[in-house]
Order: sequence, then structure tokens, then C-alpha cells
Amino acid sequence: MSAEVISLNIKEVVKKCAHCDEPIALSYFSKLSKEKEFCCLGCVTVYEIINEKGLQEYYDIKQDSAILKRRAPAEINTNKYLYLDDSQFLKDYSSEEHGIKTLEFYLEGIHCLACLWIIEKLPQIIKGVEFSRLDIGKSTAKIGINSNGKFSEVARELHNLGYKPHPIKKNTEQTILQRQEERTFLKRMGIAAAGSMNIMLYAVSIYAGASDIYAEIFGILTVVLAIPVMTYSAYPFYLSAYSAIKNKRLNLDVPIAMALLLGFIYGLFNISRLNHENYLDSLTALVFLLLITRYFLMKIQQWGLTANDLNYFYASNSVLVKDSENHFREIHPSKISVGDILKIRPSEIIPVDGFIKSGESFLNVSLINGESKPLKVRLGDHVFSGTENLNNEIEIEASKTLKDSRIGKLLKSVENGWSNRARIVQFTDKVSGYFISAVFFFSILAFLFFYNKGNLNQAFNYAITLLIVTCPCALALATPMTLTNSMSKASKKGIIIKNDEVIQKLSEVKNIILDKTGTITFGKFKVLDFIFYKYDEDFIFSLIQALEMNSKHPIAQSLLEFTFRHHLKKLNLAATVLHGKGVETQYNGFQYFIGAIKSKDTKIEQFEEIFNEVGLYENNELIAKFRLADTLRPDSKEVIKKLKKLGFNIFLLTGDKKEIALKISNEVGIESKNVFYEVTPEKKASVILKLDKPVMIGDGANDAIAQSNAYVGIAVSGAMDISLRASDVYLTNPGLTPILDLFTISKETMFVIYRNLFISLTYNLASVCFVFLGLINPMIAAIVMPTSSLTVLFSTLFGTQKLRKLFKEKC
Amino acid sequence: MEIIWILIPFALLLGGLFVYGFFWMVNNGQYDDLDSPQYRMLLDDQLKIKNNINNQPNSNKERK
Repeated sequence: MSAEVISLNIKEVVKKCAHCDEPIALSYFSKLSKEKEFCCLGCVTVYEIINEKGLQEYYDIKQDSAILKRRAPAEINTNKYLYLDDSQFLKDYSSEEHGIKTLEFYLEGIHCLACLWIIEKLPQIIKGVEFSRLDIGKSTAKIGINSNGKFSEVARELHNLGYKPHPIKKNTEQTILQRQEERTFLKRMGIAAAGSMNIMLYAVSIYAGASDIYAEIFGILTVVLAIPVMTYSAYPFYLSAYSAIKNKRLNLDVPIAMALLLGFIYGLFNISRLNHENYLDSLTALVFLLLITRYFLMKIQQWGLTANDLNYFYASNSVLVKDSENHFREIHPSKISVGDILKIRPSEIIPVDGFIKSGESFLNVSLINGESKPLKVRLGDHVFSGTENLNNEIEIEASKTLKDSRIGKLLKSVENGWSNRARIVQFTDKVSGYFISAVFFFSILAFLFFYNKGNLNQAFNYAITLLIVTCPCALALATPMTLTNSMSKASKKGIIIKNDEVIQKLSEVKNIILDKTGTITFGKFKVLDFIFYKYDEDFIFSLIQALEMNSKHPIAQSLLEFTFRHHLKKLNLAATVLHGKGVETQYNGFQYFIGAIKSKDTKIEQFEEIFNEVGLYENNELIAKFRLADTLRPDSKEVIKKLKKLGFNIFLLTGDKKEIALKISNEVGIESKNVFYEVTPEKKASVILKLDKPVMIGDGANDAIAQSNAYVGIAVSGAMDISLRASDVYLTNPGLTPILDLFTISKETMFVIYRNLFISLTYNLASVCFVFLGLINPMIAAIVMPTSSLTVLFSTLFGTQKLRKLFKEKC
Repeated sequence: MEIIWILIPFALLLGGLFVYGFFWMVNNGQYDDLDSPQYRMLLDDQLKIKNNINNQPNSNKERK
């Protein structure tokens, strides 16, 4: 037997998928183009559909546009979306006007300009679509159809194009409330802008030397114009300051609210004395600037997942339920009640917990416990929601409703993890706490000091001067602005930071915990290498295609995907699936069988048992052998090495078996004492809690609890939705490399914040001295204050050399 | 300088009108999506038609 050995070295391949830009472990090719390479069959399919519809321009637009959001390989569409045509469903979800039905979808996979282009092209490619409009920030599309169109068809096309649609319930209280909130915020900004600009007009006239009646009129006008700004626009600051004081805490809004109120009262007081002096011009400008900073912060956070998004993901695929006449019909999973018989087809996700009523199959349970090997289930076995049916059709009896199912509960405990998390007082809050106390102390001191000298008016003046000159503008503006700046730049690099505290927290951590499946590895079986003992590649691959065509076993699927890279002529063979063993067929008088390696052949070469080996037999003689395993992401090893160099302790946490865990940890260079294997999701959390300030990096539902309990939770690209929800940061670019960038951003940003603090504290200290020496009056204070703010602003924009370099690199 | 007694109310009125207009636009939902329009305008209509001429007749025929 002459063995021809072909080995593929995966680590050397760093090509990117032509459709989704995911690094390619094994290239797939479309029959349309020999040059373009793809990462999976899903992307090939989408590429072909886009070409078929004459939408090739998509790729030109994509090339020219910056990637904005997370990308992921496309899935092959198996969903029929028939429930979208159900009139009962439409009543809750769609609205109708002039004969045009409108439905809003949340689309998975929206990432750049090209997506906008293709989604808004829908009226030209789908019959009956009247209009289609995408909100790229929220990833939602409003689609209207006339009487010729069907939403199920729209949804299928969308899915075929690579965007998995989730219908959004129309006008729920939550969405209305959120929209109202956003609009109110804009109005506050509008009022603040108009008010402060107009005030500036009159204030400048006063500074320029308007006198007598003009000065008085202008003074009154500034106060009148300031009223809406100081009340309506500044309302959020008062509210936040009030709730902070109520909880016996000091936050940044306390001094701001204080300065605003005092300045406003001082202005009113002066006007009543027919004195036109006031500082309402700087105060209103401050309100406007603060509102703008917060608005941008809010916008950046919206690019991440909002709480609402979660609702779209759950229960948006239909499920087949047996009705009273023993027919199966599609319904929405939220309508499942206990005792319903559900038919779960291969590659469908089981929506609720239940028992198997008929059939047997393999389930992908990695979302629940992180184990990459499929679990065999048969009659009477318990199945959990969130697991994926892999090969055979099964019928299950629902034992719980959607809400009470395992996934539903997991979700709840994630939410609890969030609210239970000790409220960490922000760094700037801590500093400003002392700062504010000091300011108040000195103001009172100044008041008493000058009052002792016998002049009430002067005492009042100096107290106000001190409050203004030390107004924590620099603190209040610069810190959020530095954070906002870093967050927005990071999001353009594909790192979505959901909370600005994270940047500070990341600068303190030492322990990093990595999940295995899907984080360090791809989380999917891939053919590692193969050996032929007879015949050539073309024949063997054609044979495998014919054999595995009807098998849904995950290993068969990966073999099939592997051979699909080559466009071979099809052999039409009738193959018999031997459940749990393999597949068999007859061809040219030979009997062929593909399945697990038979024991007598293992002597040829001893593989470690963690690999899944498959053999192809001709009349019981082994003619080819394939080795499959979950492969490492190309950058895992490098990133872990660099992180260790930076002084982090790296841990591996997995639900998988000991051998696999140790093998992988050995490969990426994690010490075996730092490896935790065979841990359940609940136990993962307890491991986490033992460590000091741990960072949890993971992707699955099984990591969610751990992530929400960790000091910082990071979800990697392609992570499961629940994990995205539980994490503080999520990476939209594949691989672990962005984690290195994230740590650099955190460290450098903190440096800038410290520098800003130093500058503004020095300024303030100096001005306090000047006030006590009686060298500054409120007028000069109003000039000095913006100077300090400006210095800090430049320091923020300037950043550091490392930050500038990092953000300049094209992602 | 008497002109100022006309100019000030006029300026305030004008400012008020703009604020009113802004509120109307916000309530009208024109500011609900601030992310897409900036990208949408980059998609050149002229170019699109030119590039799509080859495909357009086909899909039209199918529809008829």
C-alpha cells in the first residue's frame, strides 16, 4: 500500500474571505470565479446570489467603505419564515397604510455602506417590495410591501443575501419611550445651542462696552434667554446631581449643577439690582458643550448592542407545532405552551426545554456547556433550549415555555449578574468628590475671609469667583471627552466598548481568562489533513460528496464542506446512512463505506484520541483517512504570547474534556496549572470569582454568567448573542488580536486622563491662591476658566504617540 | 441707534422661528436616524444606473 501524504498547514494561510473578510482556514471557491476565495460555503452562496441578481457593485462599494460593525461569515439559509405571512402575526408586528404593509426587521450582519446599498435595492430585486430603508446605526430596516409581496419572501431573500432578519414588534412601549428620550435630548441640545449663541451676541456687546440703557437691556435679555437653557436643557444635570446626593454620593454632575444654579441665581440677583454683570454666557455654553459630549457618548454606546436587541434574537425563528388535526404548522416560539409537540428539523435550534417523543439525533450542545463534541439523544431524553439539532428530524414534547426554558433562565441570571455587580465608583467621581468638597470648603472660607473684612458684596463676589474659576469644567469635560474619543476611535477599529468604566478597569487587571471553544479555536470541525492510500483526489472527493450528501452528522458536514471547495463532477449514487456508524454505497462493483476508523487499522498510525478520524473503505480496505478537529484561530498563539509578555496571567476555562483542554493549552502556551476543564457554566462563574479582578474572554452562552460576574467581560467576534449582552466589550473583527489593541487603548487613555487631571488641578490650585490674594475678580475668572478647559481639550485631542499610531492604522 | 429696537425683536423672532422649525423636524422623526443619511448620499445614483444597465433589462424582462 503506497501512502500519498498530503498535509495542509493551516497556520500559514492568512488570506481573507472575499465576502466577509474572515481569515480563511481552508479556501472555498465559487463556480463563478477562480480567483476569489471564501471562508465557508455560506459566503460562497451569498456571493453567487449577489452576482445572480446583478448586484456585483456591492463588492466595489464594500472595498471603498470603512467597516463599521462586526462582520461574520454568512449562514446558509434554511429558514422558510412562513410565519411572517400569518395574519395573526402581522396584526402584532406590521402596520398598514394606503395598502402598503410595513414591517421592521432587525438585521444581523449589517456592517458597512455596501449593506445600506444592497438593502435599499430590495424594491428592484424582490417582487412587491415598495420601499426599503435601513438605519445603519441600529441595524434595523423598514420594509414596505404591496399586495403582490410577501414578507416571508422578503425575509428569505434577506437571509439569502447574508442578513438574518428578526422581525420587530411594532410600537412596543419600550421603543416609543426610547425614541421619545432621544428626541427630547436633541431638543435640549437645540435649545442650549440657540440660547447660548444668542446670549453670546448680547454678552459680547456688554464686554465691548455697551453702557446705560443698552447694557441693562442686554443684561435682561441674556437672563431671559438663559432661562430655558438653565431649566429645560440643563435638567439632566440637576436630575443626576439630585439622585447622586440622595444616594449620598458625589458625582461630576453635583458641582456642575451647583455652579449652574448658583450662577443663574447670581445673574437673576444682579439683574434685580439693575446690575448687568453675569456669567450666563459661559454657563450656557458649558451646558451646550456638556450635552454634546454626552450625546456623542450615547451614540457610540448605541453602536454596541442595546438591551432591546436581545429581544430580536430570541424566538425569531419559527417552529413547527402539531395542531389538533395532526398537521404541523409554523408558529412563533413565544406561542409554544407546555405539552405541545414540536418538530425539530436538522440544523434548527431547539427553542424550549422538553423530552424527545420520537426519533434520535445528535445535538450541538456547545452553546450550553461548551463541549465541542455532539451529544447523542434518543427517545425520552431531556433536551435543552439553545441546543442545535444536527442530523435527524426529531419530535419533542415541550416541558417548559420559552420564558422558563434553560436559555431564558440563563438570560435572567446574566441580567442578575449585572445588577448585583457592585457599583464601582468611577475614578473621576472619586477625585471630583474630594475636589468638590475642597471647592465648597474654600468658597465658604473665601466668603468668611472677605466678610470679616466687612464687605458683604465683595465677599459674595469672591465666593462666586472661586466657584467659577474652579468650576470643574476641565474635569467635567475632559474626562468624558477623552473616554469618548478613545471609545469612538476604538469602535472604528472594531472594538465596541459598551461602558466607559471599562477603559479604567482594564488598566488595573492582571488575570485574563480565555474560553476555549470559539474563542481560542474556531468552534467548528475542520479537516486538518488527509491521507490517500489509493486513487487520486478528484475521485475520492467525488465519492465523499456522494456518500455524505444526505448525512447531517457534523463530521459529514465538515467533510462535505471540505470537498465542496473543489467543483467536481457529481457521482449519482444511492447511499445508505447507517446511523451512528457511517454511510455505505455501491459503485463500479465495489462496496464503499465511510465512517469511524475500524480498530484494526489504528495500528497504522497512532493518533491522539482527541482527533476525530474518519476512514474511507473500499471492500473493507482503508483507501483514505481524514483527520478532523476544532482548529486554533490563526492569531491565538501569538496574542497569548504577547499578553504573557505584558505580564498578564492567562487562564483557560472550558467545558470540554481534560485531554482536549490540555492539548490546546499546551499548543497556545498556557501553563497546565492555569487550565480549568469540564466546568459547567455555573461553575465557570465560581472559578471567576476566586480570581482578583478577572477579565473573561468568551463567546458562548456558557460564558455569559462568567462574563457578567467577571470584572470585565469581553465577547469575541461571532459570539453568541447572550454573551454579547453579558459582556462589557465586544470585538467585531475576528480573532484575538484586537484584545492587544484594547489593552493599549486602555493604558494610554488613562495616561491622558491623568495628565488632564494634573493640568486642571494645577490651574485650579493657582487660581485659588490668586482669589485669596484678591487678584482675580469674576470677570477675569470667566476668562481663566475657559483657558484651562482649552488646554485640557488640546491635551485630549493630542493623545499620546501610541494612541495616534494605533488609530492611524487601517483596520 | 434707534434701529436696535426693531432689530432685537426681529432677531429674537427669527431665532424663535428656527427653534420652532427644529422642534418640528425632531418631532417629525427627521432626526431619528442620524447614521445612515451620511452614507446614503455617498451612493451615486448616476453611477448606479450606468453600472447596472446590463442587468437591469434582464430583471425587468423576468418581471414582465
